[in-house]
Amino acid sequence: MSAATSTPAETRPAQHRARRRTGWDRTSVEWVKLELMRVAYATRGGFLARRDPRAVVLWYAVCALAPWFTYDLRVLGAFFGLALGAALAARIGPLLLGLFVLSTVGQVGYLLVLVLVLGGDLGSVTGLAQAYFKLSTVSLVSMAAFVSLDPEKITDALLALRAPAILGFAVSYGYRMVPVLVDEFQTIVDGHRMRGAPSRGAGFLGWRALTRAGRIAVQAFYPLILNTAKRTRTTVEALETRGFTAATAAGDGRRLRLAHLRWTGGDALLLGATVAVVVAVYAFA
Amino acid sequence: MPTPTTVTAPGAPSAPPSQAAAAVEVRGLTFRYPGAEQDSLRGVDLRIAQGDFVAVVGGNGSGKTTLCKAFNGLVPHFWNGDLTGSVEVFGRDTAGLGVAELGADVGYVFQDFGNQLVRPTVRDDVGFAPLNLGHADWAERADRAMAGLDLTSIGDTFTWQLSGGQQHLTALAGALALAPRLLVVDEPAAEVDPARATALYEHLARLNRERGVTVVVIEHHAELVARYARSVVLMADGAPRWHLPVREALGRVDDLAEADIPVPQVIDLARRLAPGTPRLPLTVEECTTLLSSLPSPPVPLTASATVPRAAVRDAPPVATVAGVTHGYRTIAGGRSVVLDDLHLSLHDGEKVALVGSNGAGKSTLLALLAGLTLPRDGTVEVDGRDTRRVSAAELSDAVCYLVQHPEEMFLADSVRGDVAMHPRGRRVPDADTLVEEVLERVRLTQVADRDGRLLSGGQQRRAALAVALAMRPRLLLLDEPTSSLDLRSRDDVIAMLAALAAHIRCTVVATHDMHLVAEWADRVVVLDGGRVLADTDPATLFASPEILSRARLVPPQVSQVGAALGMAPVPLSVDELVERAR
Repeated sequence: MSAATSTPAETRPAQHRARRRTGWDRTSVEWVKLELMRVAYATRGGFLARRDPRAVVLWYAVCALAPWFTYDLRVLGAFFGLALGAALAARIGPLLLGLFVLSTVGQVGYLLVLVLVLGGDLGSVTGLAQAYFKLSTVSLVSMAAFVSLDPEKITDALLALRAPAILGFAVSYGYRMVPVLVDEFQTIVDGHRMRGAPSRGAGFLGWRALTRAGRIAVQAFYPLILNTAKRTRTTVEALETRGFTAATAAGDGRRLRLAHLRWTGGDALLLGATVAVVVAVYAFA
Repeated sequence: MPTPTTVTAPGAPSAPPSQAAAAVEVRGLTFRYPGAEQDSLRGVDLRIAQGDFVAVVGGNGSGKTTLCKAFNGLVPHFWNGDLTGSVEVFGRDTAGLGVAELGADVGYVFQDFGNQLVRPTVRDDVGFAPLNLGHADWAERADRAMAGLDLTSIGDTFTWQLSGGQQHLTALAGALALAPRLLVVDEPAAEVDPARATALYEHLARLNRERGVTVVVIEHHAELVARYARSVVLMADGAPRWHLPVREALGRVDDLAEADIPVPQVIDLARRLAPGTPRLPLTVEECTTLLSSLPSPPVPLTASATVPRAAVRDAPPVATVAGVTHGYRTIAGGRSVVLDDLHLSLHDGEKVALVGSNGAGKSTLLALLAGLTLPRDGTVEVDGRDTRRVSAAELSDAVCYLVQHPEEMFLADSVRGDVAMHPRGRRVPDADTLVEEVLERVRLTQVADRDGRLLSGGQQRRAALAVALAMRPRLLLLDEPTSSLDLRSRDDVIAMLAALAAHIRCTVVATHDMHLVAEWADRVVVLDGGRVLADTDPATLFASPEILSRARLVPPQVSQVGAALGMAPVPLSVDELVERAR
């Protein structure tokens, strides 16, 4: 199309004519949604996904507790490395990995600022590094474990380990709500994109775009919660009708539910090896 | 526990409903929700016989759902309101039983079926109730219930991945897994396409016929009531006005009209063309037989009494869709194809209905036209602008898209705030005057300060329309504007759409409601498999059986009768057929 034609698009200010939308705004929301679902519903497989859910929960308990008994940076570093390896082997996916890297970069940046600008000594850096390694190890193994368990397996494992039934249900229901919340959020954001004030350019360092996004996020909260609450009313009634509360009181369903769980040699091996590695790391240090 | 009925006895003769034992016996039931100012049920006396297929009809807010929730004990065990009177289900007083105990006998499928699914996978959700009630054979029960509704192949699918129709069947299977003797289904046809609604009703009818399950449905669609129900309960002001066999019930036209229930068109036709006929027709076939047996059957009227509404294709285009292919990423990483090389142009002055089965791509096309989504391939131009080159916010000066559920349109804490959002955001001069004018036009000034979510269904639709009006778009896109509305609210919306024509250059409505298509549209675009299957006017569409069956559309009864009588073009309204018969 030549610039001489006078369609409304051409009469707009030059900055509008030059811009070309990539569709990234909508696509990225969809990608995050799919990625969340892949994570929540363990669709990628990985070495933990094949194991008995009880073994995975126990493995998680061992790994999450391991880094808390020392201040030795070498031990903590080793645990961190192992946890990172486990998370990758469990296929945690680009979204979680990206978020993790982002938080790491933030942490390191914070340490640098602390040392260079505030003039702290090396001691404070060591202290912060210890805390960082411990927390990161825990978050990595959490990701590895929960990416490998779908809500079904988590409920079964919690039930098998004698956690209160309501806890197991709360976890699986939480998973059930993830797609609902994401859908609601997407619709509301779309509403703001259509009906809200149009962006007047990004502004210096994108401050205008940022304020706009921030404002939408805050304003989306109210309709999001109300719409979701309205939906859950049916869910609560359905639970009542289908005997969930009654079963929680009687506790009869537990045996039936768990009849399919099988503890295999592989599960024992996983736990044995994990404990051995943890002990070995402590021993060598 | 009483002995269960013989579950597998296909074709077992069930006693005529009137003489059979009662499935439900309600005596003097009055109920008020906690905190409510009025009674929702007022002195209800009702007896539902075992083996009956009952349709509960009534306007929005007449107490239908509350009554049905009294059958499975949600009222009063879950909703602890004020209750007097008694409800007996299969001879047991619900006052002394828990909801779960009653749940074994009374299956309940909620209107909002999507949120009834509480477990991750289909198989797990179907087996949920038997598992909770401690049935050792819960897995077999789940498998049986799924097999009965042809769901076995999607047993391991996650429930949030299902289409609306599949979700509905899963909810039904979940209720059936307990082999209940009474099944309550709240508005089975509200959100699915006509073909799927029929399929669901066929399942219910089979359960009723072959297994003797007593079925209670809450239904707005009189055609479905006429075809499947054996008796009808009319609810008005919290109490049944009557409970009659279906033929007699649907003959009480005045009572139904008073309660905002549309009379099936076949009955309307029979009453107007064959007044005093002893046996009112319930189906299109019966009506056709009746009308052709008249002394002067309305057959020879093939002359075109009404010219098909003139197409305005040579008017300037408001929007063009050229070679658009679009799809979504799936969880497995692939990409589905929803629209496949679609071409379409929309012109000034058109009223377009977009029809097609669930999943045909209607909503996707609307989102593309609104610029919310960009096509993977091809171009969408709206008001002369390529949607790739302008943001959705800028495009919304020309296009407005109203999503299917009006509550999702409410972003502010009052209706007025929502209506004002767009004009204020654009700093439109006189925004306040405009907002007040629009509120006045949709008759919502009285409730303008309330949160939109607290309004009734009909008011919510009008509020959503008000949002659109205040945006003063050239192209208005609406997704299912009439689903689950009673007759009066529906007529309201249709009248308002007709009135909009003066302000909006082109309106596109995606819908399953063929009455809306017949009454309002002048152009119908049929989507199927991501392409345009047909692009025509309603009368031509309703006279094209191949297209109708391929796109799973069911024309209004009057058009079916007209087609069966050999009328061309087929009539679109009862008035038109009667007019042409004279």
